[in-house]
Amino acid sequence: MSTPAWILGIFAAMMVLVAEVSAGQLMIAQAWARRGGAGAGTAVFRLLTGIAIAGILVPGLSILPNAVWGAAFAVVMTWFAWCLWRENRERGAAAVAHGPYVPHLVQSAAMLYMFAALAGPPAAGSSGTGGMSGMEWRSSGGLPALHAPTLALIFALLLIALTIHDLNRQADADGYFQVAGRRPVPAGTALAPAAAGPAAYTAQRLLLSPAVVKGCQVAISVTMAFVLIIMI
Amino acid sequence: MISARAESKRVRRRERTGVTTSPGTDARRVLQLILAAIWLLDGMLQYQPSMYGTMFGQMIGGSAAGNPGVIADPISWNAALVEHHQVLLNTVFATIQLLLGLGIAYRPTARLALAASIAWSLAVWWFGEGLGDVLTGASPVSGAPGAVILYALLAVLLWPTDRPGVTAPFVAARAVGAPVARLLWLVLWGSLAYFALTPANRAPQTLHDMIVSMSGGEPGWVTWLENQAAAALPGRGLTASIVLAVALIAVAAGVFLPPPLARSGLILALVVAAFIWVFGEAFGQLLTGGATDPNSGPLLALLALAYWPLATAGQGEDHDARPGEKPA
Repeated sequence: MSTPAWILGIFAAMMVLVAEVSAGQLMIAQAWARRGGAGAGTAVFRLLTGIAIAGILVPGLSILPNAVWGAAFAVVMTWFAWCLWRENRERGAAAVAHGPYVPHLVQSAAMLYMFAALAGPPAAGSSGTGGMSGMEWRSSGGLPALHAPTLALIFALLLIALTIHDLNRQADADGYFQVAGRRPVPAGTALAPAAAGPAAYTAQRLLLSPAVVKGCQVAISVTMAFVLIIMI
Repeated sequence: MISARAESKRVRRRERTGVTTSPGTDARRVLQLILAAIWLLDGMLQYQPSMYGTMFGQMIGGSAAGNPGVIADPISWNAALVEHHQVLLNTVFATIQLLLGLGIAYRPTARLALAASIAWSLAVWWFGEGLGDVLTGASPVSGAPGAVILYALLAVLLWPTDRPGVTAPFVAARAVGAPVARLLWLVLWGSLAYFALTPANRAPQTLHDMIVSMSGGEPGWVTWLENQAAAALPGRGLTASIVLAVALIAVAAGVFLPPPLARSGLILALVVAAFIWVFGEAFGQLLTGGATDPNSGPLLALLALAYWPLATAGQGEDHDARPGEKPA
């Protein structure tokens, strides 16, 4: 008795797509070159999260042990906490509350919890038969059981709230969904229309559009909440 | 003057923080978003591994018991269908609920999703929940009149329309008008009071046994809470039912009173909803891996918020709506 593998596969495919889009955004926007590197941080986070969740959903896609993923998301969470602190100092608490760092902090904390819970000793009720990347799997053959299910539910509810918040928010209302660093393409660069052609320019605009960033954000939140709930 | 000052304050805040609030996110939209979140949670719960076992079909089939044939036959037909096409149908159900949540939260599809949620809720209330056991001995403590019918009621009350030229005293009155909204509230809470006093529910051990039965499969802290509540109730079913019925009647009558008293009634409604959700429903059994929804407690609380008297009664709350844009 488990959630069918093809459903998990659909969610995993969505996460792989998010990871690919995030990688594309990183390359096109050269977000790492921006002051403070915050745009790069959020895009890298989506890239990592996409790969990590896909690995949980489809064990064949798992590329790192849970402990390594846990450490990576601990670093990412610390990074977002530092960004929040800096934002609070520079622009005040109101800007922090409306900015992108709180959602990313919640998402990275949820990922850290997920991998910490998976890396621990077998959860009560799980068969402990072992599996990919040190995960403990239910006897039913489904996803691993998480420790501290109350925490899993709390994170799932927070992620659902983030999903609703992001969906209700207009994509182009402010810079909230432009965290990957959308900026005009300088003339003469490889991605300017004259050099790369209109198709590449359109693809660039599409990848960096707030609507696509919004879609990625929503997809990540929905999938993370889904994973947490089916592993309670 | 006040609105000009508020606008200038808002502009200053935006300049200071560099952010803009979403257009049209007024009190009604906030309640719609909470409803969307609950639908989204419902959808995800429906994807849980236990829903792909035999339990789900049996649960549907069990709700036919005790209902008249005209009600029970379609439920049994639905249960058989679900048992034969378990994976497909459960996935369809889960996906519909997920899409309802996403659709209500996304402004361009909010109306369509709200309308679809009404149709879906009514269908599930009958074919999946046996009319919430209202014909067979429902208890307000265990989720009467069926959580799913409350989704439909909320969708109607939070429908994104305003009655022209009418000043709404609370959010729930904006679409259907205050008299209809108050009548719906009276029927809901009045019926809960009635159910609390039915012979089966006022029996000495009923409430105690009901609460004890909720602790199975729960984490330790939930079991502890349930046990504490049950320990206070053995043999006191009649007293507890009378106290609950009096509270429910006070809640039902509250919305007909002037705003200060109405607020007291609504606070009592929130307390009753919390009591039902924590002790009667064990947080909707969300932590057992077998819940299909968070049950009625959160929805009753959401309803109470929809009846909260508005400080500035009426329309025109959509401060952030763009010119020419209809509120969601």
